[in-house]
Amino acid sequence: MKKLYLLILFINATASMYAQLDSIQHLTEVMLIDAKLEDYSEGFELIQLSDTLIARNSVSLTEVLNFNTTIYFKENGYGMVSSPSFRGTNASQTAVIWNGISINSNLNGQTDFNTIAPSSFNTIIIRSGGGSTQYGSGAVGGSIHLNNTIDFQKKQSSDLRLSYGSFSTINGVFKSRFSSDKKYIDLGIDFISSENDYEYIDLNQKNENGNFDKLNVAANAGLKFRKSTLSWNSNYFSGTRKFSGTITSPSKDSYKDITTRNLVTWNKTFNKWKNTIKGAHTFERYRYYPQPENQLYFEGQSTTYLGDYQLEYEINKDLKISSIISYTYIKSKGTNIGTNDRNTLAAIFLWKHHLNEKLSYGINLRQEFLTDFENPFFASFDVNYTINKYYSLKANGSKNYRTPTFNDLYWNSGGNENLNPETSYQVEISNQFVWNQFQLNITGFYISSEDLIKWQPGVDGLFTPVNISKTENNGIEINGNFSKSFNKHELNLVFNYSYTAAKDLEKNKQLIYVPYHKVTGVFNYYYKKFSAYYQLLFNGEVFTTTDNYGILDRYSVSNLGFEYLIQEKLFPIKIGIKFNNIFNTYYENVAYRPMPNRNIQTFINLKF
Amino acid sequence: MNLLKKIAYLVTFTFLVASCSQDDEGVPLPLGAYENGFLITNEGPFQNGSGTVSFVSDDYLFVENEIFNQVNSSDLGNIVQSMGFNDDQAFIVVNNSNKIEVVNRYTFESIASITEGLNNPRYFVSSGSNGYVTNWGDPFDDTDDFVAVIDLSTHTVTSIIPVAFGPEKLIMANNDLYVAHQGAYGQNNILSVIDVSANILESTIEVGDVPNSMVVSNNDIWVLCGGNPEFTGNETNGKLVKVATRENAVVQVFDFLPTNHPKSLSIDGVSLIYNLNGEVFSKEVTSSSLPTSSIIAGSFYAMTINDGKLYATDAGDFASNGTLKIFDLSTNSEIITIATGIIPGGVYFNN
Repeated sequence: MKKLYLLILFINATASMYAQLDSIQHLTEVMLIDAKLEDYSEGFELIQLSDTLIARNSVSLTEVLNFNTTIYFKENGYGMVSSPSFRGTNASQTAVIWNGISINSNLNGQTDFNTIAPSSFNTIIIRSGGGSTQYGSGAVGGSIHLNNTIDFQKKQSSDLRLSYGSFSTINGVFKSRFSSDKKYIDLGIDFISSENDYEYIDLNQKNENGNFDKLNVAANAGLKFRKSTLSWNSNYFSGTRKFSGTITSPSKDSYKDITTRNLVTWNKTFNKWKNTIKGAHTFERYRYYPQPENQLYFEGQSTTYLGDYQLEYEINKDLKISSIISYTYIKSKGTNIGTNDRNTLAAIFLWKHHLNEKLSYGINLRQEFLTDFENPFFASFDVNYTINKYYSLKANGSKNYRTPTFNDLYWNSGGNENLNPETSYQVEISNQFVWNQFQLNITGFYISSEDLIKWQPGVDGLFTPVNISKTENNGIEINGNFSKSFNKHELNLVFNYSYTAAKDLEKNKQLIYVPYHKVTGVFNYYYKKFSAYYQLLFNGEVFTTTDNYGILDRYSVSNLGFEYLIQEKLFPIKIGIKFNNIFNTYYENVAYRPMPNRNIQTFINLKF
Repeated sequence: MNLLKKIAYLVTFTFLVASCSQDDEGVPLPLGAYENGFLITNEGPFQNGSGTVSFVSDDYLFVENEIFNQVNSSDLGNIVQSMGFNDDQAFIVVNNSNKIEVVNRYTFESIASITEGLNNPRYFVSSGSNGYVTNWGDPFDDTDDFVAVIDLSTHTVTSIIPVAFGPEKLIMANNDLYVAHQGAYGQNNILSVIDVSANILESTIEVGDVPNSMVVSNNDIWVLCGGNPEFTGNETNGKLVKVATRENAVVQVFDFLPTNHPKSLSIDGVSLIYNLNGEVFSKEVTSSSLPTSSIIAGSFYAMTINDGKLYATDAGDFASNGTLKIFDLSTNSEIITIATGIIPGGVYFNN
């Protein structure tokens, strides 16, 4: 069956942009820093986005995921703060995992998806469903895994992509790698700058105060010894963004953020025992400037130290167990949160068992210690059953959590030090059908969350966070992939549809900014050195007020792109052009914040 | 809704015109669809959206939301903070959009937009040929606060009067303009007294911390001061302060308990009414102490009294439509609850 998958998905190298991860061939020399992702998530749906696909929406991770997954994004104007809703959960309930480490902000619990440079990663994997046992706080709706891989094979290559487009948008990506059978090093630089001053269609207004500049530098290195490997991953991001206004109110404020991440991993294998030691340091800092002429700013910053020891034992070829002790120390300070720290010790136990060729299951357990909360215990169970060559089944159930952020706990004024983690239970069943060149996944999920943290006004009018809300989310996700080739023409069609009912149980209303329906579709066409693609995004109407009176209209946006490879043996050049929002549709993703009108991006890609 | 309103208006109008022609007793022509009732300003969602104004008829039977939009087919703007009046004109102060929309208070037809010369405008009053608007400027800057002077005939800002930090509500008393400095995003503790004949700052009067509301009673101004909240690290108790306008001096102070922070002072004849700790209290102007028992239970976002009735708003979760509760102050019982727009922050009467 796996071979069949490969056949379908790897019609040619460029066509294989979407992949169910379990179908991806494991090259022995490729080392994934977060190996447990694949090893212990067999009953979970993993979808991998390839670098070809990423390059088509290289401006931001928001765009990559918006056009290729069912995750809904709430973007405060194009390029501004962007937060996800994965299966209707809130913005702090999608974990972003960088090489195995959670990088959601300690300050607000979220990752701003417009501060992630998608081109810096070899793969982006979307893991649906609860993952708190492995990935800790925030992996409730699902998790986004940003992975760098290190492979020990003799290779030297560089890649330069320059792009220019509407609204004075300049994007440059440079990547270079040198590797041998013992050593590996790569460097990636990603720069984007945009005036972002698009016109609001039919409104005689422009997107004022919306320009941004972002720089991301990533470096990864590895050394291979006889029985061990040592690797280093690092990432630096710096962004300066003005915050664009709305139709009804101008704005003057701006925002600067910096994040740095460093991770050292050492692997050593003794027979059936595999030891992994990790040490990581991450830093985040934001500065918010309310007025342009005034250098006054509000700041928050947080530093995390993480130490992690994993011992894995292969009892036999079908049964693998792993235990992890993970210690995290976080220190945060800021204008409104004082200086506070937190220690967390977590013990994790992972079990994976292949009962036979068709059936496997996994058990994950996590117990936390030392926290300021009632030391929580979490568990997940997953099963993967291949019924026949056409049909396989995955199912999982888990208990997950999200710890209160430093802002929730210490914000002056309003912070509440007596908060508890948000708790969530979920189950999902995923059916996978494969028939010739057609692949279809149908997944149903149910999430029940309680003790959700909500900022609400007290008697004195002061807003304070309380563990109060309860929600129930259920829905269906359908993902299809169809490929066909004839003569030298190749066609590939991918579509996603999701239905999400996410209910606030207090009010018995749909949660705000969660659409019932979302559709994405990509149609790819290849002919020799030429390729064309069409991207479609449809977001159903969303409610903007908790009583569901305020409604934001549904919209669909289409992009069209053409690429051509000028094949020089030593010096291949690819050129391309992309038309975004080809029908010049007026749409708002967040109320009163219009999104860009029709615009063009062009690029040239050099390999040497 | 709009059509219905127009039909209703036309029918009434026709009827009145017809009745006028029948006997020339001179029944006054209706001033507009919103003549007989009251208006509610709804701030609207904080970041992304528009505030609105609702109309409720005197008999509460007719409620219309978003009347500015209904009449003028455009949004008011972000954070509809308050409304003030001059004759038949209403001045709707739109805080985040830095503007004032001027409409006919009875028809709600747009007359002018004042967009120049305002920076974080808060409240409006008129006196003579001028309107006065408090402005925070940059709410993090203590030195750029001002009162804008608006020429009511041209609807333009003609001058500004720099004042101390955080000017909020203003009130005319004894021919002077009194500005309460609640303190924007921080705290302040004074009233500014402005001479409206010369448009200059006459003096300042220290009252309690965070003066949040004022009423006039004879020659006195009663100022309710919330006190510094706990999170400031310098919590102070609330105070009810009586300022004699003849001397421009504090003549009486009532102290609340150390952690009590009252708000929303309004007046019903000789009763001063305010909100504290989820209850509504009533104090006689002449009584020598603060009341210990309440008249109505409830924590309200804004309170206004008119004609023996208390109009108290509830903003709910601040992210959905709120409500207005009307109480009869002779029995302290609720008359009706009316749905409003998002964050109802003020109630204003058209008759």
